[in-house]
Amino acid sequence: MEQFTPKLVGARVKRREDRRLLTGQGAYTDDHRPSGLLYAAFLRSPYAHARIVRLDPAAARSLAGVATVMTGEELARLVKPVRAGSNMRDYKTTSWPPLAVGKVRHVGEAVAVVVAESRYLAEDALEQIDVDYEPLPTVADAQAASEPQAALLHEEVGTNVLLTRQFAQGEVDAAIAGAEVRVRERFRFHRHAAICMENRGCLAEYHAGTGALTLRSATQCPGLLRDVLADLLDLPEHCVRVVAADVGGGFGAKSSLYPEELTLCAITRLLARPVKWISDRREDLLTSTQAWDEVVEAELALRADGTIVGLRAEVTTDIGAYSIYPWTATVEPVQTISFLPGPYRVPHYRGRTRGVATCKAPLGPYRGVGRPITTFVMEGLMDRAARRLGMDPVELRLRNYIREEEFPYKTPSGIVWDQASLTACMHKAREALDYEATRQWQRQAREEGRWVGIGFATYIELTGVGSAIPVSPGMPISTGTEAAFIRVDPSGTVTAAFSVAPQGQGHETALAQVVADALGVSFQDVRVICGDTAVAPHGTGTYASRSAVLAGGAAILAGRALREKTLQIAGHLLETNPADLDIQDGRIFVRGKLERGIPFREIARAAYGGLRRLPKDMEPGLEVTRFYDPYYGTASSATHVAVVEVDRETYEVKIHRYVVVEDCGRIINPLIVEGQVRGGVAQGIGAALYEEVVYDEEGQLLTGTLMDYLVPTAAELIPIEVHHLETPSPTTLGGFRGMGEGGTIGAPAAIANAVSDALSPLGIEITELPITPERLFRLMRGTNELS
Amino acid sequence: MKPSPFIYHDPTSIEEALALLQHYSGDAKVLAGGQSLMPLLNFRLSAPTALVDINRIAALSYIQQEAGQLRIGALTRQRTLEFSALVREHLPLLYEATTLVGHLPIRTRGTIGGSLAHADPAAEYPAVATVMEAELVVQGPKSQRILRPEEFFLGYLTTALASDEVLVEVRFPIPPPTSGWAFVEFARRHGDFALVGIAALLDAEGEQCRRARLATAGVGPTPVRLRAAEQILEHEGLTEQSIEAAAVRAAELVEPQSDLHASTDFRRHLTQVLTRRALRQAKARSQERQG
Repeated sequence: MEQFTPKLVGARVKRREDRRLLTGQGAYTDDHRPSGLLYAAFLRSPYAHARIVRLDPAAARSLAGVATVMTGEELARLVKPVRAGSNMRDYKTTSWPPLAVGKVRHVGEAVAVVVAESRYLAEDALEQIDVDYEPLPTVADAQAASEPQAALLHEEVGTNVLLTRQFAQGEVDAAIAGAEVRVRERFRFHRHAAICMENRGCLAEYHAGTGALTLRSATQCPGLLRDVLADLLDLPEHCVRVVAADVGGGFGAKSSLYPEELTLCAITRLLARPVKWISDRREDLLTSTQAWDEVVEAELALRADGTIVGLRAEVTTDIGAYSIYPWTATVEPVQTISFLPGPYRVPHYRGRTRGVATCKAPLGPYRGVGRPITTFVMEGLMDRAARRLGMDPVELRLRNYIREEEFPYKTPSGIVWDQASLTACMHKAREALDYEATRQWQRQAREEGRWVGIGFATYIELTGVGSAIPVSPGMPISTGTEAAFIRVDPSGTVTAAFSVAPQGQGHETALAQVVADALGVSFQDVRVICGDTAVAPHGTGTYASRSAVLAGGAAILAGRALREKTLQIAGHLLETNPADLDIQDGRIFVRGKLERGIPFREIARAAYGGLRRLPKDMEPGLEVTRFYDPYYGTASSATHVAVVEVDRETYEVKIHRYVVVEDCGRIINPLIVEGQVRGGVAQGIGAALYEEVVYDEEGQLLTGTLMDYLVPTAAELIPIEVHHLETPSPTTLGGFRGMGEGGTIGAPAAIANAVSDALSPLGIEITELPITPERLFRLMRGTNELS
Repeated sequence: MKPSPFIYHDPTSIEEALALLQHYSGDAKVLAGGQSLMPLLNFRLSAPTALVDINRIAALSYIQQEAGQLRIGALTRQRTLEFSALVREHLPLLYEATTLVGHLPIRTRGTIGGSLAHADPAAEYPAVATVMEAELVVQGPKSQRILRPEEFFLGYLTTALASDEVLVEVRFPIPPPTSGWAFVEFARRHGDFALVGIAALLDAEGEQCRRARLATAGVGPTPVRLRAAEQILEHEGLTEQSIEAAAVRAAELVEPQSDLHASTDFRRHLTQVLTRRALRQAKARSQERQG
């Protein structure tokens, strides 16, 4: 890439937002209290599937302090229902009214809303709403939902199977039939919840005088919300502003449009008073999009020398009650078959998937989307194959990775990997671990009767996705571009605004590093504003490991454009050819003659200060907007290694070591990358050992508190060793690759493989996550190891 | 998650508190540290007419050594117990159990009396009170009564406290200096309620065991004294075989329930494992103290 000579990019710059966030100076949605504020509370269904026979809000309406009570029918007159469409062939679009109309489809679905002078009063009023439900048969899981006699959730489409899809390449059945070694397994990845420090919440404010609607929301996608709200509320889009200022975690669960956002917007328009709703933890666990919940039956075939010849898989995904906007119910099931072959050369492949509606909270994207399970499945099969072949699992992997000379590599599902450091990551991981010594330690520990194991997982991840491959294939919206708006103020300070919207990722620091380098000014002089559609150019938000690539790329384009104009103005003022000038640290100078220069702020002043100081015909001002589309996107990769021990008596899994070697291309800020890796691994450890959303047969959520839905805390974690390779992406501006999700992708597989390795003397293999002591206890009962 | 409306009182004397409880005759709740009650109120699982907040009653917070006992005021914070030199010296079992109670913010607010009166069978203090044969001092409007743990804990979240009574003090007999102790529990995460907890207290000399005390947390509607297991140790001494026999017996004595986190069978299995671990540790500590 021409003339991108990074200085700040690559530096361990401390996150500038942390002073604010860690000292209680952050301004989250709930911190905003406009005058005249009203508070909303939602009446939520206690039934998983029921007809609403009667709903009488009269008593609630008459309570003092209640501004309004609204039912689903009433709200339906004010907003269009959400329909998450897709042009994917075998996908059935269904409706999702923001408040239930006619029937409810999962426990926790909102059936009415109370808006009152306080949240306390609003909740008191909820108890006065009289609802008669006629229970319908519960559709408890994907298996039950696909039976021909199953009750239908969405009568309009006549089936609970909302999508089917297949990717195929080669002659998989023949290849597998003729293979020397076959390993086959049924893997179960349970339902998972994204637990954010900040629950969901929003504040809608309609200004009757201007007709402007402002929604503050704990969302990852302010730009995306603005587009859809204007449509569903039938408002001119220039009257809609969405702000996501400080947001405390998202992990995908804050990337979709939610019924509460739509409801509040409709009500504030009606009342012309601001209305706030802050989810409590119970509501968050009941209604935020959940993740995974898949069964994968997969078979891998290899030659006797360990070369993979074929892979086939059948995936069933429990997508819950509704198809979420904009990602649709396809996002998890389709990515699963899309990415299953992972980092390996798989000549013959077939993946089939179906997404089935059930009476559970809607499924949505969650850190890693599809890839935590595909990595668990594929890496689990690789270890089984290694055991069967008597090969070292590392050797088997090295034999099958896509080779360096094969990039760009097109996968069976049509994804193009630009380049990834698969073999190099594994070599470095083996070295960082001291693999031989660790195996030696394992042999000794085994002789002492201990159950210790080593597990590997390598993944390749599509990040920074451009317009060639939508984040969710078939989706009607574009997620392939982002933009940067950069304005140099007359004093020489720089304001850069982006539509990406961080929830803790450190964009204010990382993007300032990129802008400062691209423009040639100092880091301190750059302020980054994210997540406000009134300030930023059009974009969608922060999700899918895209911000470093897309917003970073846009920042480089915009920064370069301003740099060029700056040099032209400087050339004019210094009476020098702009080509002979350079900018560094906020000063423009003649190359080779450092003393002959001019401060950047002089250029800024000149840009706004009248034509005489500008070259003839130059437009005044120093600001620019640039869009960036990385087209295909770029691959990130990593190898994770877990060393674990299973307690022989309590079946507790203890992690002794955790090593990550990752390549996310050119690193903008190693501190941020390492923080992301560690946070992602922590969530992956949660998936491997602790976290599971449980519904009972009646569709009641049993994990409705954080005493039952177990998230690992600092006490459960160990120091995670992170090593970097830094191979700039050949296809993206700046060479950046996305890396926000990776930790969560590798960890479940690495830990599962380590536990299987630890228990291999007993013949126990892990097929189901999380690996709880109870599950291991039951597995042990199948052996004679119970004391 | 906001509570239903309630009337709030914050008396400064125990007499005043008792009068209020009498006034509401069963429709008031005592608020101490609030670590269990507040969630119940916010979930609207409990909606009393009034709350009687006893946090301003300074006379309920103390740790005193008297008549071979440590007497602990019901409002004494768990965090205070954790840092009390008296507790550490005389009631190391209570100290060890305290470090396992929830997390620092919980222990900072939570009180010993609140935990006992809430009577969650998976909590640490009911098991400690049971194994130590503590005396629970209950004050009513007219009189005071002293209950043994077996009399106090009646069932899941249920005690012998009448609606106009307050638990005001817990009296722990100070064990002989050569006794050994252990509080061992297995929880999914640090600070969680235990799937199973075992409290052990041994008065031993060498492998001779004068008195053995074992109690459980998390494997029944109340803490369970494992008397039949204790007797094995008192009769056969603290050998590896008798410890194993006591552990096996312990698992037979409990009737744990299945829940989301562990089945009956797994809890029974853990009872055996943890009883063995607790007894080994208690024995080692006793021997260490005997020199």
